[in-house]
Amino acid sequence: MIKTRRKIGFHLLFKSSLWYIFLIGILLFFIRWTKGSGYLEFYSVLVKPLLPGSAQKEWIMAGEDIENKIRLKLLEEDNNRLRKALSLRDFKADQRISAAVIARSSKSWWQQLEINKGAKHGIVKGQAVIGPGGVVGLIDNTTVLTSRVRLLTDPGHQIGAWIDRTKLHGILTGMGTNRPKLIFLNKNSFAKIGDAVTTSPASTLLPANLTIGIIQFVDENALPSPYAIVQLTASPEAIDWVQVLINNG
Amino acid sequence: MARDKKKLLIYIAGIFLPALLISSPDFLAINGVTPCWPVIWLLPFSLKNSPLKASIAAIFLGILLDSFTVGKVSYIPSLLLLSLIWARYGLHNKKIELFFNIGLMSIFGTAFVGFSFWVQKIILYRFLRNNWFHSWSIYVLISEIIITGLVAPFLSSWLLLTYKKN
Repeated sequence: MIKTRRKIGFHLLFKSSLWYIFLIGILLFFIRWTKGSGYLEFYSVLVKPLLPGSAQKEWIMAGEDIENKIRLKLLEEDNNRLRKALSLRDFKADQRISAAVIARSSKSWWQQLEINKGAKHGIVKGQAVIGPGGVVGLIDNTTVLTSRVRLLTDPGHQIGAWIDRTKLHGILTGMGTNRPKLIFLNKNSFAKIGDAVTTSPASTLLPANLTIGIIQFVDENALPSPYAIVQLTASPEAIDWVQVLINNG
Repeated sequence: MARDKKKLLIYIAGIFLPALLISSPDFLAINGVTPCWPVIWLLPFSLKNSPLKASIAAIFLGILLDSFTVGKVSYIPSLLLLSLIWARYGLHNKKIELFFNIGLMSIFGTAFVGFSFWVQKIILYRFLRNNWFHSWSIYVLISEIIITGLVAPFLSSWLLLTYKKN
């Protein structure tokens, strides 16, 4: 018997399987649209009892002391500059939210953290996230109870940074490793190994003078512009608690 | 467990895939890189189903998993192509060799998914074009291939066996 090809027509609309596929499709597009918010919130509630205890917080405090010493020196210099120049972006140290890391993907194709504080706590997209040692990333998106942090190391992630000693700006670009690349905007960087890299005071996205890392390597002859490899002072793999700066959103 | 209920296992596993993706369990990681979970799930599903069903599942899986990642790089193109190839390959009364076949297919599948991310990142992010052969991509690609090749023969063939019994 010869089998004829099945005809495509409106009678397919009466098949329940088609409607199942359509409904699943709508459901998945909804999940995509909400960036998996329902799923993530359920996950955050589920892992709440497993979050790290207070010992981690004490460790963060010790790490903060070192970070504060570097920042204090930078802030003093910045203050003097501010007296002469126009006012820069306001930054209040008390406006921080502590959050626990509930999921981490720091060595995969995507370099991100999920934290247990979200829109309900005042977190919005673009806010800076700091760990012990300095900046770790920016908020990429939020749900009611969770937020996703895009790490500085993620390829494609770029923020403005500068070297305080030389006062020269560059773009810090994630390269997938713990050592992002600082691409300078000037023809000569005058950078040296060991220089501290901080967020730029000219930045409209981030508060000024947050520690990012230390320069490990400089290529002055690179084209089209010189670059430096920066070792981050905050290691995303070892951080279980972070702080979100809520006044820069 | 009744046979009909066993069939549900693969769908339940599909729902839990994002949890595996975001939690990245350390005990199943090489150098911090976890297996390519969508390949482990899609392989048994595609082998048992028609190319159409497999490709629809691949698109849905891609949409679901893209919700949980940062950036513009997507799972969909690579998973779609893999689902079509695997569904064409099918089972066709293959027996014990399947255990090893699954390992091999998952290795090639993971390599393809990883390679597609690599290419997409180079296309999407201009600055990576100057330095496209970066160590990080090789590192993630090789680690992911090794760990998926080790895990897939167990998890994928188990999913396939429970799914096939219907």
